[in-house]
Amino acid sequence: MNLTNEQKEQGRRNFLRALAGAPALAALGAAAASQGPIKGGPVKAAVIGTGGMGRGLINQCRREFIDLRAVCEINPKRRSAVVEMMTNNGWPEPHQYGDWREMLQKEDLEAVIIAVPLWAHADITVGCLDAGKHVLCEKMMAKTEAECRSMIDASRRNNRVLEIGYQRYYNPVYQTAFSGVVEPGLLGDVYFARLVWHRNGNWRRREDPPSPDFDPRPWGYADWEHLLNWRLYRQHSEGLTAELGSHLITATNWFFGSAPSAAYAAGHISRFNDGREVADHIFATFEYPGGRTATFSSIESNAFEDHYEMFMGTKGTLILQNETEVYLFNEGGAPAATQIETSHQGAAPVADASATRPADAERTVNAAASEQTDRGISYRNEIAEFCGAVRTGRPVRCGPQKAMESALAVFAANRSADKRARVELGGAEV
Amino acid sequence: MLRRREFLRAVPRLPREGRLLHVHRRAMACRFEATLPERRAVGSACAALDEVDRLEAQLSVFRESSEVSFINRRAAAEPVKIDESLFALLCQCAELHRETGGAFDITSGPLTRCWGFFRRQGRIPGDAEITLARQSVGSEKMLLDCESRSIMFVCAGLEINLGSIGKGYALDRAASVLKGRVRNVLLSGGSSSMLAMGSGDYKREGWLVGIRHPVDCNRRMATVRLYDAALSTSGGEEQFFVHEGRRYGHIIDPRTGAPSDRVSGVTVIARSAAVCDALSTAFFVGGRELAERYCEAHPDVLVLMLESGSCEPVLLGNRALCEVEILDE
Repeated sequence: MNLTNEQKEQGRRNFLRALAGAPALAALGAAAASQGPIKGGPVKAAVIGTGGMGRGLINQCRREFIDLRAVCEINPKRRSAVVEMMTNNGWPEPHQYGDWREMLQKEDLEAVIIAVPLWAHADITVGCLDAGKHVLCEKMMAKTEAECRSMIDASRRNNRVLEIGYQRYYNPVYQTAFSGVVEPGLLGDVYFARLVWHRNGNWRRREDPPSPDFDPRPWGYADWEHLLNWRLYRQHSEGLTAELGSHLITATNWFFGSAPSAAYAAGHISRFNDGREVADHIFATFEYPGGRTATFSSIESNAFEDHYEMFMGTKGTLILQNETEVYLFNEGGAPAATQIETSHQGAAPVADASATRPADAERTVNAAASEQTDRGISYRNEIAEFCGAVRTGRPVRCGPQKAMESALAVFAANRSADKRARVELGGAEV
Repeated sequence: MLRRREFLRAVPRLPREGRLLHVHRRAMACRFEATLPERRAVGSACAALDEVDRLEAQLSVFRESSEVSFINRRAAAEPVKIDESLFALLCQCAELHRETGGAFDITSGPLTRCWGFFRRQGRIPGDAEITLARQSVGSEKMLLDCESRSIMFVCAGLEINLGSIGKGYALDRAASVLKGRVRNVLLSGGSSSMLAMGSGDYKREGWLVGIRHPVDCNRRMATVRLYDAALSTSGGEEQFFVHEGRRYGHIIDPRTGAPSDRVSGVTVIARSAAVCDALSTAFFVGGRELAERYCEAHPDVLVLMLESGSCEPVLLGNRALCEVEILDE
């Protein structure tokens, strides 16, 4: 999928034209912001795990929604680095912990954001829910189906909000593409989605331990290498399908309105045979009900295509690239004669009258463009809406059921690659 | 945790929301749209848009094959017998021309061409060029014979262009297609012309439509509730060019031959979208005096006008026609 600049421009324009009647991207992005500050004040919260992802989430926290009062991290170097970042950014100095259980005992918290390696998600999430905390846990949900189910049970048992960090659900680009293009049927019948996340480089991280005598064994990691590069070891990770693919699969489940019924996959350690246990090239095919198929590839030897979801329908093609760009192409190239959309009707005017506007006049394109360039908005909305859900009980957008359906597809694909056989998904009913 | 019920008690009740269906198509060089609260009305909406397509094929001067193009080619040489509905439309145009003292004129095309607006490349014409063009302008030079239902031009060079009434007329006709098929619909053409049928949205208080501020395009100047009524807005903020620091809008005063700049924006509300279209153009060039004079003689018209250099929009005419709320900054 390689587009010329002209094609990109055309695709962007097609998309914006198709949207008339739906709120502009900017308005959607601002929707969450306009709901704050929420009643009851900011949610008292802590972050467990302040590696790259935890740090990124903290950067997107807004203080009118969330009161970050503690951080928990087993690596003291990363812990103090994030505390420094927060105080530099104007947060009061958060309390610091290495043990999340100790933190739960000592801190007055309502919610916890969890951004630890995959294998530890379920244990910590269930512990936090059982302690009465609401949880926003990073994706993928958990390492096994049983763990996913234990998280859902704990959320129900304790009547607490559990959201999994699939930020595409909170991304105005995806929301607009869904309500403005997919839902009104502008793509026609969609039988195929192509999911791509290609990179050219080594997933392996290089970093010195915080101190020569640092021992991660009490935390379940055999050595520093297994902690630093947990993504490369099967004991801690489900590989590229989980870390990258599950985002794309979740979006596809959303847009298809269902979850895969079967998966077959091939994976290889092709380029970086450096002791890792997960593939650096993976190719998976997911069967969906209704004769629909999605293919996913993730490679570490070529980044030409970068990452995107592409939905190919009988009437048009929708491409969501790098989480920020969206293109729409009509089949045959000619714009559809008649377009049909739906919108929500609120108290605002249904339409705005102005001097005659030519057909090619763009709708608030500048505002949309500036919104598109900011990936952080998805995370900001995600955290803000999570806090809103904590305060009001309003449902979260993804939720643990859908997150589990996505995880089950990943487990099936990985099992298929291991067994070199097609794997059926036995109903994702919860 | 604040329970859902407690929360709902704590916040003001939100209005019930419905879903709207938007069916739209490109026609007359702009976007025509039918907005309906009924989901199963796509077929009716398409029939209404088909009528707009049909009228474009009949009325557009940009199509060689249109009936109007045929008139423009032949009517200076001989009387041209025309379709009944087109004849009625041209008679209405002639009447509106008289009633507005010549401010509305479907024969002002040569002037618009002088100023480069047909090709969207604005230019300043010389005085001689304008004088020459004005010789071929004037609806009184168009003779309509009811008996033979024919039209003839008294001089060569005269041409008809329905650009200032065609969209509204198309909406009126589209609405008649929908009569008996849907009760509630908001039709729009190019965002400047709208026609509302029925009581509108979920509150049943009429279709709520915003009027964009003609100077500060990022905000609304007013909102109106349309209930079986039409609206048209004219302004120079979308199509204009700037020459030596001065702005020239696309609406030419047929009486002077130059772009008009006395009004920033005007919106006319009446029963017929065609009448609204014609009057908003006429009042844009004729200003407040013409609008006041017209409204005195015609009680079924409401005008919202922002004069150039003014911050206060004025409401003229029959305020009982629809509810208008002027929004402060």
